[in-house]
Amino acid sequence: MSTEGKTPDLRPPTPSFWQALGRIDRRVIYLVLATVVIVPLIVPLKLMKDVSPRAREVFTAIDNLKDTGRPLMLSVDFDPASLPELYPMLISMIRHAFARNIKVIVLGLWPNGTGLGQQALNQAAGEYSKQDGVDYVFLGYKAGVDAVILGLGENIKAVFPKDGNGRALDSLPMMASIRKLADIGFIVSLSAGTPGYADWLLYAQSRYKARMAAGSTAVQAADAYPYLQTGQLTGLLAGMKGAAEYEFMVSQHGFSKAKMTAAPAMDPQSLAHLAIILLVIIGNIGFFADRRRGKA
Amino acid sequence: MNIMHILLSWQMVGALLTFFIFSFLFRDNPFYKFAEHLYVGISLGYTIALTWYSTVWPDLFQPLFFSPAAQVGAGQKVLLLIPLLFGLMYFTAFIPRVGWMMRVPMGFIMGWGMGIWIPATVQTTLLKQMQGSLLTPTMLTKWHLLLFGLISLVGVVCSVIYFFFSREQKGALKLASETGIIFLMVGFGASFGYTVMSRMSLLIGRFQFLLRDWLGVIH
Repeated sequence: MSTEGKTPDLRPPTPSFWQALGRIDRRVIYLVLATVVIVPLIVPLKLMKDVSPRAREVFTAIDNLKDTGRPLMLSVDFDPASLPELYPMLISMIRHAFARNIKVIVLGLWPNGTGLGQQALNQAAGEYSKQDGVDYVFLGYKAGVDAVILGLGENIKAVFPKDGNGRALDSLPMMASIRKLADIGFIVSLSAGTPGYADWLLYAQSRYKARMAAGSTAVQAADAYPYLQTGQLTGLLAGMKGAAEYEFMVSQHGFSKAKMTAAPAMDPQSLAHLAIILLVIIGNIGFFADRRRGKA
Repeated sequence: MNIMHILLSWQMVGALLTFFIFSFLFRDNPFYKFAEHLYVGISLGYTIALTWYSTVWPDLFQPLFFSPAAQVGAGQKVLLLIPLLFGLMYFTAFIPRVGWMMRVPMGFIMGWGMGIWIPATVQTTLLKQMQGSLLTPTMLTKWHLLLFGLISLVGVVCSVIYFFFSREQKGALKLASETGIIFLMVGFGASFGYTVMSRMSLLIGRFQFLLRDWLGVIH
């Protein structure tokens, strides 16, 4: 029988089942991730039950301010792009401080995040009937990161003669006894990059020996761990998990009855991680199947 | 939540922009580009306005030109002329003939920045971290402190040896260098894991916004 006139079959060979695992359409992956995120948000699994020692250290350090009478300073070093990870930390810390009658100072090194700091303060102040200028002060934003932190170490009123609402700091009762960083009990930098906790470490902690912790996005967390070991950071809240842990502790101690946002997100977070681990394993099986067929 | 809230609210604008950004998953398109440019424009505009009202106006222009002599003395005003002059020099970048003048404020910023940054960095990230890598007597009090201290010490020494290029890596040097690679890979893995966690958090945050703040499906 002659094969003349027949065109050769140029189609790529059909991949085996194992090879196909390594070539899953990206839209299928999007769908899987969307499903594992949406379903547990609607049907909660309540997986959040434990708190890491690092988060507990931040909670204890802030809680102990009650005995010293010194204020808590929160630096809003993020913008709306990191809101899901850092905003729950910010508002939980303010709620914790207000519930324990600890005075709070909020400022920002990121211009686009300053409004979030004011929003969190106003929301929590309404919940705990706290008074602006007496129980808390919103300093606002000032350009010049290093110069700002160094200036705070010498004289807060020289860097921020007025608060974020345009009132002279000298006229605010709360600021009567607070002159410089040495008068601050504890600093937390809620940091999404640069400027952030690293700048506070360089100038506030290293030069003025300020006690501080970091609330960072998960991306930054791995870089922050070495500073925990040396004691330069008192504690660390890493990403949305850190936010969930803080929310959980504030709620468990009865300091807040507000609805949590980060703690319920631990259900989709856990399932999404599980899905990604499975996808990595499946992808690797496909990769090795491909390599094996190539050798054969 | 009623249909009017879903269709006629700021949450609707946020939801629409979220969908515009998500549309990039399909392919690059004008809706994505619109949302992206809108975000960049608003961020920049907000930053400029806030910097002007929080820093440039109250710290420079108001005391220099609009404050009475009783409040801001002549000496202080002369001092304020220096940052004004430096600031204006940056704009010479737009005039090629005198563009060299921009180097003056840049040189000042670099000199001042390095002067305060180098000692602080050496103290914070070099000396303190070296101190943290050493084995101290307190580590002998608990077995797990000693174990983690040893792991940390071996990790630091081996990772540094991996980047030691002044001698051919063979024998003990090769062994230490390859151990260093393992520590580096663990470090990269931890960073990547945290990055995945971060990106998932942002996705969850968006779905929380859509399902709770916009549609009111979850509470």
